[in-house]
Amino acid sequence: MEVSEPVLLILLSLAEQPRHGYAILQDTERMSEGRVRLSTGTLYGALARLLEEKWIERFKEQDHSRGKQAYRLTAAGRRNLQREVTRMKHLTRVAALRAARKET
Amino acid sequence: MLALYRFLLHLYPAAYRYEYGEEMLEVLSQVAGENRKGNVLARVWFGAHEAGGLVFGALHEHLRGITGLHGNGRFSSMYSGGRFAMRSEFRFPKATVGLMVAILAAVMWTIEKAKAISASVPHANPPVGPIRPEQFTIVETLLAVLIWAIAAGAIGWAIVFAMRRSGVHHLSEMNPSAGQRSGK
Repeated sequence: MEVSEPVLLILLSLAEQPRHGYAILQDTERMSEGRVRLSTGTLYGALARLLEEKWIERFKEQDHSRGKQAYRLTAAGRRNLQREVTRMKHLTRVAALRAARKET
Repeated sequence: MLALYRFLLHLYPAAYRYEYGEEMLEVLSQVAGENRKGNVLARVWFGAHEAGGLVFGALHEHLRGITGLHGNGRFSSMYSGGRFAMRSEFRFPKATVGLMVAILAAVMWTIEKAKAISASVPHANPPVGPIRPEQFTIVETLLAVLIWAIAAGAIGWAIVFAMRRSGVHHLSEMNPSAGQRSGK
């Protein structure tokens, strides 16, 4: 599954702790410093894909009601997130080196 | 507003609506509650943003159902289409969704008004001009508004691009070595 920015932000949000939809929206906005505001349609489209790929799973909270369903990362989701973060770290390292080289 | 969202949720496939409908409504009501504190413009923008997300989301789900793509679809950059990377390709401006909704409402109101006026005027007068509003159906109206809105969006982006103020130019002007933000 290819990782877009909304998907990456959702994975990062769930990496910290299980969350339900509204909490994910707030956390992604906070992480992106207000730059990314997911709409509900976008969020649930991404959650549906992630559930299909088994990168996340539903999490039963104590006060679980159908309208407040929480999600959490699966082991596969955590592995894929780590892989994506490693790839991005490598890219930013290369980008910083090349940008510095261009300036000198 | 929630009534509008409930209506737009019906655009989704039934199975999707059954699985996520209640959750989405719960989230929408929480987000709407938070945005109630903003001014009129902020509330209108929020409404258009959420409505646009629902419409595109519904379209995406229907297309996935039709094409059978599971996890590999590249329908839209808003979803899982594309790696996490800066891409200098044309993106449909989200603000245009709000503009399209407003224009559609205005056009539909104008057509209804013209029909009412036409009905009240004796038909001994010949029609003036090439466009006769009573001949337009809802489908033709939607199509005309959609084409116009897409053209307006493309022209607007082209103007911004020509002025070198598009997102592409902002990204190319970024200096990655000019300080780093503190990590969290």
